[in-house]
Amino acid sequence: MTGLARIVCLTLALLISVQAARADAPEGYSASALYNLGNSYARAGKPGMAILNYERASLLAPNDSDIEANLRFVQSSAHLPLESRGNFDRLAGIGTPSLVSWAAVLGVVFLGAAAVSAQVFSRYRALRYVAAFAGVLMLAWTLCNGISLWPKLHEAVILTPSTPGRVSPVPMGDSLFVLQEGERVRIDAEHEGFTLVHTHAGRAGWVADSNLAPIVPRTR
Amino acid sequence: MGAVLRSFGLFAAICAGLLLAVPASADEPLVYATIQPAQINLGESAQFTITNLGDTTSQITLPVVSGLKFEVIAHTREIQIINGTTLPSSSIVMRVTPQIAGIFTIPGVTAKSQPTVLTVNAALSGTAIPRVGAPPPPPPPPILSGGSIPKGVHLTDDGSAYVRLNVPKRELYVGESVPVEIEVGMRSGFVSSLNGLPKLTGDDFALNNLSRQPERSEKLINGEPFVLFTWRSVLAVIKPGTFAISAEAPLTVKIRTRPKRDTQLDDRFGDPFWQNLFGTTVPKDIDVVSPPQEVKVLELPAEGRPADFHGAIGTFSIASDILPNKADAGDPMTLRMRITGSGSFDRVDSSMLDHLDQWKTYPPKSSFNTSDPIGFSGMKTFEQPVIATKPGVQTLPGLSFSYFDPSARKYQTAHSAPLSVTIDPSQAESTLTASQVAARAGANGESKSAEGLRADHPEEPARVASLVPLYLQPKFLAVPSLLVLALSAAWIMAKRRLRADQGLTSRARIPSKAAKRVLAQMEAAARGKNAALFFQLSRDALHQRYGAEIEVLQSEDEELRELLEYADESKYSGDELKATHFAQWLAVVRDRLTEEPNA
Repeated sequence: MTGLARIVCLTLALLISVQAARADAPEGYSASALYNLGNSYARAGKPGMAILNYERASLLAPNDSDIEANLRFVQSSAHLPLESRGNFDRLAGIGTPSLVSWAAVLGVVFLGAAAVSAQVFSRYRALRYVAAFAGVLMLAWTLCNGISLWPKLHEAVILTPSTPGRVSPVPMGDSLFVLQEGERVRIDAEHEGFTLVHTHAGRAGWVADSNLAPIVPRTR
Repeated sequence: MGAVLRSFGLFAAICAGLLLAVPASADEPLVYATIQPAQINLGESAQFTITNLGDTTSQITLPVVSGLKFEVIAHTREIQIINGTTLPSSSIVMRVTPQIAGIFTIPGVTAKSQPTVLTVNAALSGTAIPRVGAPPPPPPPPILSGGSIPKGVHLTDDGSAYVRLNVPKRELYVGESVPVEIEVGMRSGFVSSLNGLPKLTGDDFALNNLSRQPERSEKLINGEPFVLFTWRSVLAVIKPGTFAISAEAPLTVKIRTRPKRDTQLDDRFGDPFWQNLFGTTVPKDIDVVSPPQEVKVLELPAEGRPADFHGAIGTFSIASDILPNKADAGDPMTLRMRITGSGSFDRVDSSMLDHLDQWKTYPPKSSFNTSDPIGFSGMKTFEQPVIATKPGVQTLPGLSFSYFDPSARKYQTAHSAPLSVTIDPSQAESTLTASQVAARAGANGESKSAEGLRADHPEEPARVASLVPLYLQPKFLAVPSLLVLALSAAWIMAKRRLRADQGLTSRARIPSKAAKRVLAQMEAAARGKNAALFFQLSRDALHQRYGAEIEVLQSEDEELRELLEYADESKYSGDELKATHFAQWLAVVRDRLTEEPNA
């Protein structure tokens, strides 16, 4: 098999995988639907479900001011502590995760093209440098976006008022502390219908799965 | 006898003093007489006591009845002060010995007191008993009831104490529990102390939940005052067989040390005060044992034993409920089973619901509320957390509990009714749309003020299948991975083509480490102008490189042949070479050592 044939085969495989990735896209979530659902739950007096849907919407549209404003409003109405985003999160959150993902692909293309062209052409050195820099920049953007989103991908929202955090993953386990509806907690482990959560105050306990929902829904 | 006279003298002096101190009562004194026992056999004696409650100055005439002999054996006197009023009483104790059999009526000791009746049986039964004297009136009520010895009471030899074990059944089953009573009777003044809790003799049975504080009462037994302590407990049956069961209690009693003839008088007095006053007793620790009772212990029948039988023996009934009876899917609920009755509750156990479709079950916990101090009767409650996994109207099956009924002598299984609960979909799993939620909120009247919320956005079609960013999804990661592979392949190909263009052959390969080492040694020999070492190294390296093929190669490769010839000559000629010759031959060796084997 000649080198040209190999490249053609790889390109075909690439196109097929891209098509496969795009084939899953049409069904599922949209930021506006999640935002509107959060508004509905907020009006229904269910701050837990409202905050959950706002958080999910903010994953898809991290710079939507309406989502952020309503999230803060519901949190303050429920007497929950307000968390402000840092500069790093704001910079890393420029662009949706989908856009950032394709930017990473583009970054790989730029870097690869610069490397290959350096072997083929002795001219256009400046152009190669610009392409390589752009590629590194895009990959760094993706990396920062991942670092910024990683904690939220492993968090859950408490859905019921006065949710007990128990010492063991059984319904009759002793209660260690009480969680407020709408509170965000970190998911550490799961065991038979219970989730080990870590609060922002540093306390850890088991919460029944029915009392919380992960921001990124569990895959079944 | 002198000591007796001294006692009487002291007694008379105290009586005289008391008579002067007691004020005269305006009421007529109450005088009555009792006789114990009221029925005796000919040849025995009875105790006739005349008690005077009130003024001692009233006239008491000693009875005279034909056929009865009266002997005064003691005088006693007591003073009680109640609400500042002194209440004196005195008694005369007499021994009554019948001369003949019959029914004797002893007239009242005063004009208003009631007569008493003594029945004397003949030594031979069947003889008609003649009535003597007037018709008998009803006897006066005694001060304390229970003058005779109750059933099951066996006094110690000195009559100071007894232990009685009351077992309700004589036939039991292994594992069965039955309530028992242990009664310890101690004669007033004759027992100093109770030194421990009563216990069973032997190890065929066990006592559970023995009450720490016994019930206290007083009783006349055989005419003597006794203090009774009663413990309640549960008797646990351990092994099958026929056993004798009895209880014992450690006591300290007072043993009389005076001669028997003197102690007879003490007995007549019946008052331990006088005995203690003159130091006539010493304490002694003894174990008082109840008379043994035979109990038969049976094995539980193997036939008809239910699979869920855990050893509970008794009489029980069950009921169950669930709280709450309406919940969301995933919410924990509590299924309760209450077992009520009496029996061996320590063996009442249940795993309740083990596995159930569409339910998640957890091990139950139990608690016991007893309705008596010994834990024989009560209610045991089992609480099992259950979680419905599917929404809809769910039915929990009825619970059952198996036990052995000793009265029916067979196994029984109690059942509870099935329970129905309504399970709503879980909030966390809810896939409601915004409009559905809003409609629900309106229907439930939950239109809370939401001023401050920004307006809804126009609905957009769903764009992503998952909230996980694309760059973390395995399917998407295949794209950059394939890109990296393709670009790497392209880079390698471009690199190879560039090398080909620059005329690099396969001989430009980097030499092996061994070749590098030999070449370095040859360079060192060249620098030292040591031609012999230089050519020796080159010859050895080429022989190692080509082996036996070197003879063939010599004929084809002129440089190689010439090199090997120089090597042979240098061993003997000792010629010196110029630096340029060293470099020339070094290049020849390097080419040969670094070329591909099949080149």
